[in-house]
Amino acid sequence: MDAWKYKPAAGQNLPPGDSMRSVQREAGLVSTITQACWRTIVRLYLGGYHRLRVEGRENLPLKPPFVMIANHSSHLDALTLASALPWRLRRYAFPIAAGDIFFQTPVSTWFSAMMLNALPMWRKRCGSHAMQELRDRLIGEPTIYILFPEGTRTRDGKMGPFKPGLGMIVSGSNAPVIPCYLDGAFSALPPGKKWPRPATLRLRIGPPLTFADVENRREGWQKIGDQLTSAVEVLRPETPS
Amino acid sequence: MFGIPPIALWIAAIIAMGLAFIPPMLLLLEKTGRVDDKLRVELWKRYKSWLVLAPLMVLPLLAGRLWAILGVGILSLLCYREFARATGLFRHRTISAIVALGIILLTFAVADNWYDFFVALTSLGVSALVIAALLADEPKGYIQRVGLGVFAFLLFGVCLGHFGYFANDKRGQAFLLAIIFSVELNDIFAYCSGKLFGRRKLAPQTSPNKTIAGAVGALILTTALFATLMHFITAGTVIDRPIHLITLGVLVSFTGQCGDLVMSSIKRDLGLKDLGTLLPGHGGLLDRFDSLIFVGPAVFHYLNYFAGFGFDTPTRIFTGP
Repeated sequence: MDAWKYKPAAGQNLPPGDSMRSVQREAGLVSTITQACWRTIVRLYLGGYHRLRVEGRENLPLKPPFVMIANHSSHLDALTLASALPWRLRRYAFPIAAGDIFFQTPVSTWFSAMMLNALPMWRKRCGSHAMQELRDRLIGEPTIYILFPEGTRTRDGKMGPFKPGLGMIVSGSNAPVIPCYLDGAFSALPPGKKWPRPATLRLRIGPPLTFADVENRREGWQKIGDQLTSAVEVLRPETPS
Repeated sequence: MFGIPPIALWIAAIIAMGLAFIPPMLLLLEKTGRVDDKLRVELWKRYKSWLVLAPLMVLPLLAGRLWAILGVGILSLLCYREFARATGLFRHRTISAIVALGIILLTFAVADNWYDFFVALTSLGVSALVIAALLADEPKGYIQRVGLGVFAFLLFGVCLGHFGYFANDKRGQAFLLAIIFSVELNDIFAYCSGKLFGRRKLAPQTSPNKTIAGAVGALILTTALFATLMHFITAGTVIDRPIHLITLGVLVSFTGQCGDLVMSSIKRDLGLKDLGTLLPGHGGLLDRFDSLIFVGPAVFHYLNYFAGFGFDTPTRIFTGP
């Protein structure tokens, strides 16, 4: 008879606040329910208020792991990308969010963990260790990351250069990266604005790229960054809304 | 006062006084150099946790029947959560959802004072778990998933759920306070008698710090304490006879210590030091409430057999005709 195998929740030994901030956080029954409610609200809101249109859904892989990336211009971006996923995949989706905005206070931490299912990225110290943790999780479990390689929201509406961090996560792995372009979010909710305007959102999802044969080194990260920059650029609509 | 039996208020007052007396005692120990720095920090941490925990346990009991039952229901759910996260069972959402639903229904059955439903939920809950686990169509690991689910439902749902049932008796608040007070002191008695007389280990593989002398000392002291409290609570009833009072005291101490050992076994099997982190200095909720799990059913059914239980609260309060 084989012995039973137990696998405690990651961060089981962390104090409550710290476990919510852990990038290994695993959703339980309560957060599964709160996240499902939140997704329903967000979907209704994006469809109703912003008349969200999604093109290229067929490019999404049928199962995790994969990484969705896009240009970053507002706080609506991660919500939009997550709501483009089919329902059965959505509980695997983790937006990678700035720790200094989303995980600073206990209330925002609770909201980010229990509603958004976000994982924190501490921009001041996002060294190779933090990236390695994200990489391990992507390889080890069914996980979908939603992240914005620019590292911050655009201040002028133009897409900025991609940071090498994404390369540290996906180089040499079989997890595909799905480039997306979100149009309209900058006019809807640019940085500094408090309330969104009812601008139309258009999300275009491009074909997946894999970087299994790219080395996990600086040159490799640069190559991935360049390739993905152009993959996202290509999706930019010619007539911005 | 407010329909609360005077003895319940007395016990609550003793608990409050105990909590008030601990800081001077700790300071005295520090002054005389009896405790080293590590132990000092640990003791203060524990004390602070108790300062939050004791009111959270005592106030719902004093607040009334529904509050006490609700409190037990929430405790059951939190204990299950901790167990599920420690074993990995929480990843099986269907099973987790059914255990949680089972606990909610048990709490409802208690609040409704519908004993038949409470009893029915044991077998129905187990059946639901065994059947729902089929949905995944994944025989590998089936016995473990179902086994853990059933185990958790019976321990944290059914066994712990008996505590809620006490609240359906007009002496319920007093029973509950007496039990909680005695069980918590049971741990302290065992610790002190173990420190004073302990030589031979009780179960070195399961819990290396427990000694036979500690267990016997706790048995004697807790029995005396609980029998005395019950004498005042049940004065003038069939229970108020030495044979019943002593048996009840022995039951409380014995099942209390068993609960402690059961949770130690679970922790050792899982290879974890603590089952959670909710209570600084104690660990998880289960590290604190482990000793209560088997006391509830034992005392409840003893009293129910010899004296009958909950006759003074109407049955099927919400669902009745």
